[in-house]
Amino acid sequence: MSHRVLVVEDDADIRLALEEILEDHGFHAVGVRHGGEALDYLSRTDDLPCVILLDLMMPVMDGATFRSAQRRDPRIASIPVVLLSAYRDLDRRAVDLDAVSVLNKPPDVRVLVQVLQAHC
Amino acid sequence: MTSPPPHTQVRSFAAPSDEGRGSSEEGRFRALVASVKDYAIFMLDPTGRIETWNAGAEQTKGYTAHEIIGQHMSRFYTPEDLARGLPALLLAAAARDGRVESEGWRLRKDGTPFWADVVITALRDDSGRLVGFAKVTRDLTERLHAQQEQIRLAHAEEAIRLRDEFLSIAAHELRTPLSAVQLQLQSLLERPEGLDPRARLKLERACRSGERLVRLVDTLLDVSRITTGSLTLTRSTFELVEAVEEVVERFGDHAAQAGSIVTVRSEGPTSGNWDRMRIEQVVTNLLGNSLKYAAGTPVEISVQGDADNVVFTVADGGSGIPPSERDRIFGRFERAAPMRHFGGLGLGLYVARQIVEVHGGGISIDPERAVGVQFAIRLPRQPPSGNTA
Repeated sequence: MSHRVLVVEDDADIRLALEEILEDHGFHAVGVRHGGEALDYLSRTDDLPCVILLDLMMPVMDGATFRSAQRRDPRIASIPVVLLSAYRDLDRRAVDLDAVSVLNKPPDVRVLVQVLQAHC
Repeated sequence: MTSPPPHTQVRSFAAPSDEGRGSSEEGRFRALVASVKDYAIFMLDPTGRIETWNAGAEQTKGYTAHEIIGQHMSRFYTPEDLARGLPALLLAAAARDGRVESEGWRLRKDGTPFWADVVITALRDDSGRLVGFAKVTRDLTERLHAQQEQIRLAHAEEAIRLRDEFLSIAAHELRTPLSAVQLQLQSLLERPEGLDPRARLKLERACRSGERLVRLVDTLLDVSRITTGSLTLTRSTFELVEAVEEVVERFGDHAAQAGSIVTVRSEGPTSGNWDRMRIEQVVTNLLGNSLKYAAGTPVEISVQGDADNVVFTVADGGSGIPPSERDRIFGRFERAAPMRHFGGLGLGLYVARQIVEVHGGGISIDPERAVGVQFAIRLPRQPPSGNTA
């Protein structure tokens, strides 16, 4: 199993900070700006990530639409998804989107690392 | 408009003094009109002077038949309508078109306005000569008020919806850059190669301030939800003492800074079906208050369960809250201490109480305690029957 994490986040500052933090903690982070880019990346790579860190509100393709497309594609459907959003009350969304975990922005880095390590 | 005006043909519309001279059918009809109370029904001569008056007219406008018969109908109109010649315009329109309907404010005898729906019908004899008008007036004031109230309510609901939508978006938008700041600070703090101790201290301070900003944004959003009754719970079963200990652990640095030692003790099973994030918020608000208002004194938290409830108390050794203030401090924007000494929104206890009450529980202050303040929170282990919120 790779330690590759796909970070789907439109805010560049957050995305880059997450990539750095994850690299510092031994993950290989790949950042994309929205769901469309995430699907594109997943279709091209042979080295699938062990977990996807997914924002909800993004331009072009939001988190829910991405998740729906991911679940329809048997090649990538089983990659667990961790929601990371500035919206509160994420638990309901986690059930709707069948996410393995939810984190509010800003996440506690130690908790974030623990959650990702559980799937990689 | 070029077609001949429709005429209302009448055989006889006599004044009350003529009663008894018409056929018995007309007599019954007049009696019927006279007894109608919901509608003011009366007749005018061709110039607009009042010739008949029914019970409904008396009830609506306040004049008796004796007072009003012979007077001109213009006395029911407001000064503004009189200034623009509305009575004459309506009579002319009825004479021209056969019938005219209008809605507007009219005046009762005592000068109070009422919202009237008025139909004036031209009356003509067999030769087509105008012999007068029939005027039917309905008092629609209550209906107007009900409509206005409905509109006001709809506007208020829309304003609340827009406010909530705005707050939700604003909270999201404020959290996003805050997240970037927090993540950058945390990534510096977490760097494996370590940090200069002074830089670490400054970064930790910046991180704490960032966390405080996030909490303030969330509190504003919570208050909006509470006031609109849209605070919903995501329940799960967990040990309350574990949630309390987790919050206390998060407050480690804060407590050390405040010079307070926080202890937690528990007795018996403390599990229940609650919204963990919300319950942690209650503990956070109470513990935060103790560390703020009773800094330097020990804070004791106890968690105890019985068959139906789990009760946890948060007690400090500060200056306490005077009995006269104990109800007030649970209100919105209230605080026990003067604002010039302590900042904050004054929403912590308000939010805490609302969360506890949505769970079907209660929050109180121990009235017997001599030193400091002790809050007791009772949480039913299971949702109240019929409430799955």
